[in-house]
Amino acid sequence: MSTLLMVCFLVAAFTAFVGALMLVFHSRPMAAALGMVLSMTAFGVLYAMLHVPFLGLFQIIVYAGAVMVMVLFIIMSLDAKEEGPEVGGLQTFTAYVAGLGLIAFLMLTVRKSSLGVFPSVEKTFGSIKSFGHLLVGNYAVPFELASLLLVGAMVGAIVISRRRWQ
Amino acid sequence: MISLGHYLVLASFIFGIGAIGALTRKSAILVFLCIELMLNSVNLVLLGLGFYMKSLDGAVFAFFVMAVSAAEAAVGVAIIVSFIRRRRTSSLDAANLLKW
Repeated sequence: MSTLLMVCFLVAAFTAFVGALMLVFHSRPMAAALGMVLSMTAFGVLYAMLHVPFLGLFQIIVYAGAVMVMVLFIIMSLDAKEEGPEVGGLQTFTAYVAGLGLIAFLMLTVRKSSLGVFPSVEKTFGSIKSFGHLLVGNYAVPFELASLLLVGAMVGAIVISRRRWQ
Repeated sequence: MISLGHYLVLASFIFGIGAIGALTRKSAILVFLCIELMLNSVNLVLLGLGFYMKSLDGAVFAFFVMAVSAAEAAVGVAIIVSFIRRRRTSSLDAANLLKW
């Protein structure tokens, strides 16, 4: 059981990693966006392995489904031409130094912290029932604010993408 | 045995790769996707630590992060579309009106 979980984790982690590398380094925008889809799906699997399977499902439906379909649609309709090589010079160098330094710093932090294996939890942990109770109980106000935010974003998207004011 | 460290290491690698992408990519859409990747790695940390603490609060926070980034995706894509319409390119080098 434990080795099976480990194999699952390694496969999902490798897939997420490859997808992220495709997103950052592939020269064609379409392939890069498909790498993002790969990465998002692997993230959904990882969420499910952390005892919140419905969040993994949301991840696959909302990200790998809705958001990425929208982005792929934009790329196909507006951004069809291939991207040339990235801008060289100081900016790229700084970006690599900053990114790799960030990774090194986070690795050091993880290494210094004394975090062990996961505790064993009861079967009902992470069930959608307990999650729902928490969401409309303790977190009722942020939940309602999130709905307000989504309506605002919807109206804002329509206003921004209108061709002109009439 | 999978430990919390595995998830934290994976999340920090993905976060760093996303940061490199957000700083080096030219196309506005791909920069946007790199930022989404960074958001997702933070979500992974939230869920991992929530499970480690035996609490669902991390999952609720990850849920809110997902809701906010869906809103961000809607507005961001609208901004990018109007930018591409106006400038005929998605390269961020064309966004130079506020350049010093």
